[in-house]
Amino acid sequence: MRIPNIGAIQRSAVVYFFILASFFMLTTRLFLMQIVQQEAYDEKSADNSIKAIEQVPLRGVFLDRNGEVLVSNVPAYTLRVLPAEYDTSLNRILETVIDVLPGTISKILHNNRIYSKYIPIRIKRGIDFKAVAWLEENSEYLPGVNYIVEMQRGYPAAIVGSHVFGYTKEISPEQLKRENDYYIPGDYVGHNGLEKQYEKLVRGVKGFNYILVDSRRKEIGKYKDGLEDLSSIKGHDLVLSIDADVQRVAEEELKGKSGAVVAIEPKTGEIIALVSAPNYDLNQFSYVTSREFLQNLYNDPLRPSFNRATMSVKPPGSTFKLMAAIAALDLGVITTETTIYCGGGFTFGRFFKCHGGVHGSLTVIHAIEKSCNTFFYNLIYKIGIDRWNEYAKKLGFNGMTGIDIGEEVPGLIPDSKYYEKIYGPKWPRSIMASLAIGQGEVSVTPLQLAQYAALIANNGNSFIPHVVKGYIDDRTNQSIPIKYKEKKTGIDPKVFDIVKEGMYLVVNGAGTATRIRMKEITIAGKTGTAQNPHGKDHAFFIGFAPYENPKIALAVVVENAGFGATWAAPIAQKMFQAYLLKDKINKLEQRSVPEIKPNIIGASLEN
Amino acid sequence: MRIDYKLQDKFDLWLIIPATLLICIGLVAIYSSTINHPSVHANFQRQLTWGIVSLIVFFITYSLPTNSFKYIGIPTYIFSILLLMAVLVIGRKISGAKSWLYFGGFGFQPSEFAKIGTILAVSTFLSRTNANIDSLKDIAIALVIGLLPVGLILLEPDMGTSLTFMALILILLFWKGISLFGLFVVLSPGFVALASLFGIYYFIAALVLVLVLLLLFQKDILTSGSILALNLGAGFFTDVVFRALSPHQQKRIQSFVDPGADPLGAGYNAIQAKVAIGSGGLFGKGFLAGNQTQLQFIPEQWTDFIFCVIGEEFGFLGSFFVLGLFMVMILRILKIASSAKDEFLSLVLIGILVIYFVHLMINVGMVVGIMPIIGIPLPFVSYGGSSLVVNMFLLGIVANIYRTRKNYT
Repeated sequence: MRIPNIGAIQRSAVVYFFILASFFMLTTRLFLMQIVQQEAYDEKSADNSIKAIEQVPLRGVFLDRNGEVLVSNVPAYTLRVLPAEYDTSLNRILETVIDVLPGTISKILHNNRIYSKYIPIRIKRGIDFKAVAWLEENSEYLPGVNYIVEMQRGYPAAIVGSHVFGYTKEISPEQLKRENDYYIPGDYVGHNGLEKQYEKLVRGVKGFNYILVDSRRKEIGKYKDGLEDLSSIKGHDLVLSIDADVQRVAEEELKGKSGAVVAIEPKTGEIIALVSAPNYDLNQFSYVTSREFLQNLYNDPLRPSFNRATMSVKPPGSTFKLMAAIAALDLGVITTETTIYCGGGFTFGRFFKCHGGVHGSLTVIHAIEKSCNTFFYNLIYKIGIDRWNEYAKKLGFNGMTGIDIGEEVPGLIPDSKYYEKIYGPKWPRSIMASLAIGQGEVSVTPLQLAQYAALIANNGNSFIPHVVKGYIDDRTNQSIPIKYKEKKTGIDPKVFDIVKEGMYLVVNGAGTATRIRMKEITIAGKTGTAQNPHGKDHAFFIGFAPYENPKIALAVVVENAGFGATWAAPIAQKMFQAYLLKDKINKLEQRSVPEIKPNIIGASLEN
Repeated sequence: MRIDYKLQDKFDLWLIIPATLLICIGLVAIYSSTINHPSVHANFQRQLTWGIVSLIVFFITYSLPTNSFKYIGIPTYIFSILLLMAVLVIGRKISGAKSWLYFGGFGFQPSEFAKIGTILAVSTFLSRTNANIDSLKDIAIALVIGLLPVGLILLEPDMGTSLTFMALILILLFWKGISLFGLFVVLSPGFVALASLFGIYYFIAALVLVLVLLLLFQKDILTSGSILALNLGAGFFTDVVFRALSPHQQKRIQSFVDPGADPLGAGYNAIQAKVAIGSGGLFGKGFLAGNQTQLQFIPEQWTDFIFCVIGEEFGFLGSFFVLGLFMVMILRILKIASSAKDEFLSLVLIGILVIYFVHLMINVGMVVGIMPIIGIPLPFVSYGGSSLVVNMFLLGIVANIYRTRKNYT
């Protein structure tokens, strides 16, 4: 087949149209990129070159009810290395200076090798001052090595408070996933206690410095001379209802023991002290927490990380007799004149022994004073288990208190349904006898007991127990109170006066806690000793003071100690002293609120 | 306006005005992309000097007797080949390619210079009085003349420049009036070679296609057989050439064949170039205000990626203006070439057109992401003395032919 040549004019036309088509194609492509998709490219371009460096705000500090700083911010030094300038032959000497295992630095550098060499890498937080001095002295021989100041939590009040304050920790991947609108990897967040519950108030607002970076992510200057920068805003300071002195005394008294103490201001529900023993040192969490420390903490058989004040449940022993008395009086089952004869015990199916011999005929007030079991054995059968249970609930048992430090358990108060489930409709009614004296299935937390003491002290009215009174807005310096729900039992206030009279006699009459009687303060209370099948009895004390105008109500629980009167009551006495006698002393001194001025504000933390 | 008429009659303003504007735009873009770059700060000054030198070269070429191009063709070509061989031995390696010759402090790229020789030599050969474009022998000789520099440039290795030479020889044959069969003979090895880059199956499929077409052309067995052998050879030769390429060029080819192969390496420039251009918008970010450019997101932007500067800082309007200038110039050359009655001059003009056009298409095509990243400069705009001087020399030839067009009509 013979194919003719393409003519010259046709060739010219082919070239002409090919050129036009090519130009049209390029123009269309440019139009698409620069006009249609411009926004998407613009975003990429901005991402490329403007980098936001976070300014980590200072966390709000925690103040106690008198303005004393409990949790503050202290500067800590963090050693960093810029891989682009760093010479790895310095590894060994640096490792010696900052006291880490040989090979640590190269391991960290290796882990970060995927990032730009112009991003500084954090080697160790919380290096000591000697190391900082050394770095300063030798800085000219240490290319690419520097340190920055980061803020860490400090605890200047010499109280531990581990279960109240909680600690901050690097954010977990799960939380990061949930709250990725604010946090970035490496951020520190409240992990438990108040730090966690009030994270949003305390954390402040992040600031941003905008810088220009080149294609190697090397910083080359400020974006718009820093005009667009946002400085960080310090978090709000929390004003706690904790009294540092009372807390300190309670911690001191519980040292070496297992147990819990909760003290509440009856009129407000404010928690004056909350201690769970054993506790742990929060300072260990402010820098790099060593693996050993954490392992020891979690493997300790005494479980220091466990908040006994809100999480441990036990039968409260005789302290629970007040509950039966309140129920019986309010229901009209008995009056103040009603007497029950104690012949040294009580028979219901079987014989229940009273302690301390034969009490004879007793009114309710004296039954409380002597802690007569027989009286209360009889009483609960008069009340009936379900009505008794109802009153326990009214007084805050078998349910969460709503405390603002997070974790707590509801405990358990049995009712007829509970036993029907276990034993069927014909459950042995003899079980009820031990419930009356706070034994058996009754399970309550120390916090519930403290709330119970506060409700009695304030004649059946209080507020949800809480640790935070309010916060101080850092910008306006205004103190903003937090409102809590009122707690009303709906029980006749006169009933409480009767019970309180009995509690007065426990300490000031011929009762079980006369050893803590004081001249300066009129204490009222009730001891309890809960049988412990696993070892020594648990010692309980609940009480309030002063009797005439209660300002502090508390519950003390000492595990495996023995009699409540011997082990728990004296701790309560020390706390009453610390709280009530201090006021008299301080009236002369006119305490002023110390001004909190952290040394370094807005230390930068780069991502 | 007698003078004006005379000026346009002798001196084609449709060529020189766009070219001058492009050089000026190039200077602005080079200034913008080097101002924050201490090591290449002097590039603007150098380019300015080269601009003046190239204008002088343009006017010298412009005023030469038109006939002289016919006579200098073959000698220039032979000289170019010698230079291309010399550069392989004594050349200096810059960014992976041995493409620079230095005489004292003065360096230039023989591959740029070879464009002139190749255009003139092939045109001379194809326009000789007894030339027969239907003879496979003539086609083969033309191909050898054209592909000899391609082979040498590939050895440097400089992929981009050799591509422009391949296009050049092809279009010259087309312009001369090659038959469909001749075009098939010329194109099929290239097609097979390209297919072989994608893998063995593509290679075999391409060979089968060539075989079917050969059967359709119904040539004698000897012709058909040798063409098939040529195709087979082309496929294997490609493999040899591919291996001879520098690793970074291999990667570029691979990343075009398979875009996911190296997104961070060779793909990085492509992405950054697109971001720069796309973020420019309609009006651009303004002179010296393009962050992609000023923060050096695109390496060596003043050379092959100069179009990004224009796209980012002067937007769609700026880019379109530059394309428009090129279009005016190229269509003007086509017009002169179409009306030239002398075959040699017509072929030379088309050769120059191809050089400009292919450079433009590959260069802009790669920065907007429709071509692989093949490093060749944008004529008149990119930084580089050799390229600018040679391009202005070629433009001088065009203006020269325009000046004397009436003598040949």
